[in-house]
Amino acid sequence: MKKTVTILLTMLPLMGIAQNPVIRDQYTADPTARVFNGRVYLYPSHDILVPEEQRQNWFCMEDYHVFSSENLTDWTDHGVIVTQNKVPWVRPDSYSMWAPDCVERNGKYYFYFPSAPKAGGGFAVGVAIADSPTGPFIPEPEPIKGINGIDPCVLQASDGNAYIFWGNGRCAKLKPNMKELADDNPRETVKWRDREMEMVGVNCLKDLPNRQAEGPFAFEYNGNYYLTYPYVREKTEVLGYAMSKNPMGPYEYKGLIMAEHPNGCWTNHHSIVNYKGQWYLFYHQNFFSPNDDKRRSVQIDKLTFNADGTIQEVKPTMRGVGINQATERIEIDRYSTASPDVTTEYIDTLIQFSGGCATMPKKGSWLGYKDVDFDCLTDAYMMIKVKAADNTEFCVREKNEKGKVIARIKLTVKPEEPAGGAAANPMAARFRRDLRNQWLTQTVNLDFVPKGVTDLCVTNEGDGALSVDWVQFKNRSNYFTPVSAAASPARPDDEGFIRRWLLLEPIDKPNSGNTVFTDSYLREHFYREYFKGQQTMVPKDGQKVTAVFKQEQAPAGFGRGAQAPAQPEVKTVKQTLTWRALDSNMFNVKLFRFAEKWGTKVYGVLFWAVTIIDCEEDIENVRLAVGSNSASMWWLNGEEVLLLSGDRRMVKDDAMSNRLTLKKGRNILRGAIINGPGMSDFCVRFLDEKGNPVKNYSIKAQ
Amino acid sequence: MKRLYSILAALALTSAANAQIGAPYIHDPSTIAECDGKYYTFGTGGGGLISEDGWTWNSGADRPGGGAAPDIMKIGDRYLCIYGATGGGLGGGHSGRILTMWNKTLDPKSPDFKWSTAVEVCSSDGMEDQDAIDPGMLLDPTTGRLWVSYGTYFGTIRLIELDPKTGYRVKGNKEKDIAIDCEATDLIYRNGWYYLLGTHGTCCDGVNSTYNIVVGRAKSVEGPYMDNVGRDMYHGGGRMVVAAGDRKTGAGHFGRTIIDEGVELMSFHWEADFDMGGRSTLAIRPLLWKNDWPYAGEQIKEGVYEIESERRGYSLELAVDFVRMNVARQGGFGRPQANAAPPQPVPSQTLDEVKGTWPTGEIRVRIGDYMFRPWQRWQVVPVPQRGGTICGPLYTIRIEGTNRALTATDQLEVTTKDFADLDEQLWRIEQLTDGTYRIMPYVIPGQQGKNQKYCLYSAGDSTSTLAEYDFNTDNSKWNFRNH
Repeated sequence: MKKTVTILLTMLPLMGIAQNPVIRDQYTADPTARVFNGRVYLYPSHDILVPEEQRQNWFCMEDYHVFSSENLTDWTDHGVIVTQNKVPWVRPDSYSMWAPDCVERNGKYYFYFPSAPKAGGGFAVGVAIADSPTGPFIPEPEPIKGINGIDPCVLQASDGNAYIFWGNGRCAKLKPNMKELADDNPRETVKWRDREMEMVGVNCLKDLPNRQAEGPFAFEYNGNYYLTYPYVREKTEVLGYAMSKNPMGPYEYKGLIMAEHPNGCWTNHHSIVNYKGQWYLFYHQNFFSPNDDKRRSVQIDKLTFNADGTIQEVKPTMRGVGINQATERIEIDRYSTASPDVTTEYIDTLIQFSGGCATMPKKGSWLGYKDVDFDCLTDAYMMIKVKAADNTEFCVREKNEKGKVIARIKLTVKPEEPAGGAAANPMAARFRRDLRNQWLTQTVNLDFVPKGVTDLCVTNEGDGALSVDWVQFKNRSNYFTPVSAAASPARPDDEGFIRRWLLLEPIDKPNSGNTVFTDSYLREHFYREYFKGQQTMVPKDGQKVTAVFKQEQAPAGFGRGAQAPAQPEVKTVKQTLTWRALDSNMFNVKLFRFAEKWGTKVYGVLFWAVTIIDCEEDIENVRLAVGSNSASMWWLNGEEVLLLSGDRRMVKDDAMSNRLTLKKGRNILRGAIINGPGMSDFCVRFLDEKGNPVKNYSIKAQ
Repeated sequence: MKRLYSILAALALTSAANAQIGAPYIHDPSTIAECDGKYYTFGTGGGGLISEDGWTWNSGADRPGGGAAPDIMKIGDRYLCIYGATGGGLGGGHSGRILTMWNKTLDPKSPDFKWSTAVEVCSSDGMEDQDAIDPGMLLDPTTGRLWVSYGTYFGTIRLIELDPKTGYRVKGNKEKDIAIDCEATDLIYRNGWYYLLGTHGTCCDGVNSTYNIVVGRAKSVEGPYMDNVGRDMYHGGGRMVVAAGDRKTGAGHFGRTIIDEGVELMSFHWEADFDMGGRSTLAIRPLLWKNDWPYAGEQIKEGVYEIESERRGYSLELAVDFVRMNVARQGGFGRPQANAAPPQPVPSQTLDEVKGTWPTGEIRVRIGDYMFRPWQRWQVVPVPQRGGTICGPLYTIRIEGTNRALTATDQLEVTTKDFADLDEQLWRIEQLTDGTYRIMPYVIPGQQGKNQKYCLYSAGDSTSTLAEYDFNTDNSKWNFRNH
């Protein structure tokens, strides 16, 4: 029967799971969040898988990490701060480093934690002290005398005293040294089973709903003291709370902060913190360990007070809190809202840390994700991880399912016959893949870029089901800087490379690959006229030319000239192209990126490049040094000086001209670069007789 | 005599014997791994080759996941495999993923043979200057850290670090760009230098592929990797290690294997082996080092050679009488001679002129001054059909024009006997990292199994024997000269 229940649970949508959990590479439980110096610090306990020799199916914790965040979405793991085998009083193989707390007083940070003492006798609470919220924490050699129990929480009240709460709601005053209980605490004799024990402090939950109460968290707000705590209402824990005008009570029970976890996770444990004016509830569930509720993960949701100081019940969400930067990896399966047919499941039921995914079963299904900030985008594209059983189509939209389309993706997962059939293109056929039901990262250009903080919506607009995992926007590298007409002349860079060029948007020049670029092919094709003034014009930024030429149709291959037809079909083509004055941000001019941004095609293209070199005097015996991808030809002052033929990569100083003279005054350097299937670019400089870069000239684009 | 003809006929068929035999068809072979005495290499598209002896290779290795250009290495008692899940530009897009997985064994017939679930260690998004395929691994012997270079012509070659215990990416590790204009890269470490070996040129164009392997080196694994003229591989630099030759084109995807001290091999593929129908095949060549740069060595080709000792420079010869040539001394210390006739060539001494002075039957060998006399000229012939090792084929070594073959004896000495196709008349000739060769009998009579220890050795300047191979003495080393 138990097995059936488990299966049912995993088939249900994982309600109550969020962008949440916030820590996704390890288990975290019992979160205490504190704000120090304007940053949130999270001190959870650290569930681990149980070593073989330890009690199985039980809680198992050997150390503590501390995490911090500025925005509640990006969390930094500062590593281990306290570990069981480095605390003098802790039994080093007890794996009982349960729920901790950390507070600041007079510039010192006091980390309180329960564990099993070497001396035996249940749990004690110790303190470790540091000068910073991330440590190093030095543990006190002995636990705090008078505390026998778990789950410490320290309240620094406006009366100037610090109070420590622990166990099932007991509270005692601390000395100002924060390391000992005050001497004037009340004491009482408590009967527990057949034993009588003297206990320090008062049990604040004595007459309140308190069945199996633990994990007290106390705070002060608007003149009220709140004692919040997990207890068992029916079968598993809820978070309840009580209020008082005094730190040590008496407290009055007020109700629930959070109901039982719907998936049956037995424990909950929490803290409440105000950060930048908003109250947050930190709590835990077991998203990354669905079949073992003793490996838990921290979640965060917003918490709201009513005017009378009572607290509104918090519903766990998948989305959690915080504004995601669009450039973060956004786990969009942890949506804010969705059409009712959307379901979620684990991507890998064995490796739950790989997270979840959401499935939109049919056309019209959608899921929405709130609060993504797009102001971080400059020149962006989108990546989205998806899975489908058949070719389909979907959109990422702004705001909601009817919002403006940010990107539309046509997803092809069925293996396609290569153009012209497998025989004509055996290489493509060999690498053809069946991508049905596989996770694929799709990279797409954006149709529209939202501004500021807005919501995302993924809409299924194809016929079958679509599953999504995450979405992320990325800014492109900035390869070029436009040169304004008023720009002062540039100089060669430190290594003598010429970075300022007038580049013509690419001419569409299909070819079956770089291996066709023989010397005679290049002579024929570079000396053809594509546009008027091709060999003479010194263009201006923004100047347009009309290219009219005969274009041989060639199948786009993998760069293998063998596939070129003997008698290609010829079409007359007309293109209107613009010259652009640009500074390359790298020593090499990335024509591929230029074509991507300003051209219509990136492969099978012919580029023209012009630059103006002004010399104060004749510079003799220099060589033009070029590397280009693929072939290129270069002219200085109208004279052909260099040809690089064949299937080439852009290698610095690949080929050199004969000795040349850069004449006093204006020189025009012109290049034509042709490319098949590769990433076209070039690098150009002048070298002197000894191979040193020539730099004593200036460069203009107009 | 009939026997000799049949051997010669076999030789004619396999004259290009400096390639592995069997069906060694592969593209992008992973660094050769050894598992339970067998050799394995894995290629693009899945699967791989197995060899019992390192010489005969056939398909049968098993790697799931398809994709391009895997690498594999033994770490502890497990094998870590890394591969690109996609085909790079060949598959269409450039959004690639690189994955790692483990196996306890490489033998698909072993009950332990089971690949762990592959985990992604890096990826490219298809838009950036990167194509996450073609990974190559280096377990740094100085630090124990595990590095991976990957990438293709579509952007940069990148370096990342993995955890050698898990095969996962080291937490927080950031990619570093170390080269451009390469694909199918590999990293190696030797003698204080890190080397990045990349493949340059045109891939996948059969007999027209210009693929070739280039290298740069750095003092830090993170680069900069500079070539021999001081050019950074990040600017396209690289010095050639191996390219087309011997009727084979397109060397790609380097891997280094250390066999013994001073015995290193490089594995790679040929895009097209003209003698194997132009197919893509596995290549294994000696790896040589000069001034801390790697070079491709050569397997000895069929020919007549002086076998010269590295110890003194003397030559391996039959222990027979020196037969003087009956040619009067000419010229008289170079003084000009009045009315001298133009000089006439002196013919070399022939076998027929001396062989009558040789005893029949066994003749021992020794080492002496090289005078290009018949007792010093050795016909070296690869006999690939008799087998080989990972370093190359087996050879017969005979006095030119005779059937007198170099033979190992049970006394750990070297002699010559009539060639009878005995195992002790077969020799391994393996080029060492310094360019010299070691010469090892395939078997030694009276010893169990194949000889792995003893080599032809200079006991004295003039005395040859068999002794344990030791790279640190020139007594173990020989040169083959055709002069």
